[in-house]
Amino acid sequence: MKKYCKTIPEGTRDLLFEECGAQRHIEHELAGVFQARGFQEVMTPGLEYYDVFSLPAAGIPQELMFKLTDHKGRLLALRPDSTLPIARLTATRLQDQPHPLRLYYIQKVYSNNPSLTGRSNEVLQTGIELLGAGGMRADLEVLSMAMEALASCVPDYRIELGHAGFFKALAARLPVGDDLREDIRVSIESKNYAALDSILDKLEQTDAVRAIRRLPRLFGGEEVFEEAAALCGECQPLDYLKKLYRALASMGLADKLMIDLGLVQRNDYYSDIVFSGYVEGSGDVVLSGGRYDNLLESFGAAMPAVGFGINVDALTRLAMSRGGWHSKPAPVLVHGDEGFEIKALNHAAALRRCGVRCESSVFATREQALQYARAQGMERVEFVGAAVETVAVKEDAAR
Amino acid sequence: MKPLRIALTKGRLEKDTVSLLEKMGMDCSALHDKGRRLILPVGGGRIEAVLAKAADVITYVEHGVCDLGVVGKDTILEMGTGFYEILDLGFGKCRFALAGPKGKNFFAGYSSKTIATKYPNVARSYFEEKGMDVRVIKIEGSVELAPLLGLSDAIVDIVETGSTLRENGLEVIETVAPISARLIANVASLKLRKAEIEELAQAMEQALRDKEETQ
Repeated sequence: MKKYCKTIPEGTRDLLFEECGAQRHIEHELAGVFQARGFQEVMTPGLEYYDVFSLPAAGIPQELMFKLTDHKGRLLALRPDSTLPIARLTATRLQDQPHPLRLYYIQKVYSNNPSLTGRSNEVLQTGIELLGAGGMRADLEVLSMAMEALASCVPDYRIELGHAGFFKALAARLPVGDDLREDIRVSIESKNYAALDSILDKLEQTDAVRAIRRLPRLFGGEEVFEEAAALCGECQPLDYLKKLYRALASMGLADKLMIDLGLVQRNDYYSDIVFSGYVEGSGDVVLSGGRYDNLLESFGAAMPAVGFGINVDALTRLAMSRGGWHSKPAPVLVHGDEGFEIKALNHAAALRRCGVRCESSVFATREQALQYARAQGMERVEFVGAAVETVAVKEDAAR
Repeated sequence: MKPLRIALTKGRLEKDTVSLLEKMGMDCSALHDKGRRLILPVGGGRIEAVLAKAADVITYVEHGVCDLGVVGKDTILEMGTGFYEILDLGFGKCRFALAGPKGKNFFAGYSSKTIATKYPNVARSYFEEKGMDVRVIKIEGSVELAPLLGLSDAIVDIVETGSTLRENGLEVIETVAPISARLIANVASLKLRKAEIEELAQAMEQALRDKEETQ
């Protein structure tokens, strides 16, 4: 039988030294943004009952989940998403807490992607959820936070804003059934103009049809509002988006903001605003979020909520490609002569108390210790015998 | 500013795309005389083209190493979507069809059917939509051979004129989906470089319309 003891599964990675450093840095920056705004960390189990993720509102295809069974034969899933477990947690363990709840998380999510596409099956995600708060103040808090979070780890970014209610309002005015409406939604989501046209050509050409036809092209800057207003007249989601946009623009964020009215419900649980973050150098969305006012109801604790998640791995890759990450060994090696081992350990402990990073030598002779220090590129060796002797490791000898 | 990078499907679609780009007034001399270069400047360096197999065009665009791609709808249907499909280029027209031995009623009888195809995902989703249980066998070469040898009851394949089918005693049972070349765009590129991409897409659309009028 073939053994797979020397490889790792497709879609996973080992991270070494400076990669870990870059990733921890990104985590730290993002957690800093969240903590400064009073958000508190939660962790949910990597394994959950499958039922948490198979709710009709979840919209996670079952083939994308890694599944196992427990000892009673119940179906478990490796966490494919963090919002659903946090909704579960809020509806159960945080029932009696005063609202709103401000929660953040840094944890891995898993998805069983088709093979050989180069997609990661294990992704480190961080994000926030603001639960028990509806309205514009909550949306502004979360959007400005998403922008601050991206600004803290990349030189440039764009946040794109849409509204799930916009499509719903227009689609309700179309004389079509559920199936056809779903086909229309999918073709708008994938900006498939040709497919959309061929569906709409069969319908009576009303104002709503004309508006839907333009929907996938309704993205860009503030000018989008004008065009949209001309197409669909009075529309509550549109007015709301405009108010949000103006508010964020007045915070000096207009050049980072885009509107996409064709951003229709990716996850089925989004009910109002939806937004995505893009960064130069990453071909995929790095941040995605939105308002999900109906999701908590499925867990028996109806409340409005809004949040977003960030792909930490993608930001780490960008940070690595910008360079400047070095993993340095400790600068000092402490070597104790025979009979002075304990004294050497104490000496090393004293150095560390003064803030000096140092390794304790495990070699029998000074010669070997020095050779090791050279190979590692260390600055100096401190030999501990009856007295302490410091020997600088020469730059040229290190080569 | 970095040039937009476009991946073109090698072969017939490449030729059609080049003639379209030339109609738009873009200099495509590098595409005619490639030499050993793999990344080719087009239109005086406004865009860069790479040539790839159809499936790779989708892979490059999905991962964002190419901003745009020209690829057949057949490959898009088979490989799924993680990108925007922004323009039907109208050339490379043909269709996916279900074909079987002439004069035989494919849908008759209770026994479950076997389908040979180069496009297992297209075949599977077509029959799923119909609510029919079928066995799908992937064939790499001439699919027409499978029903002749008795391996399958029918095939799902690309049909242009239908002459290969006729020569082998097969006929089209149903059309599965129409096919033509599409312009696709990476999700992030379309957002970050909207103006450039839309300008190019509109120029393409205009050139296509002009071509239609002259014909």
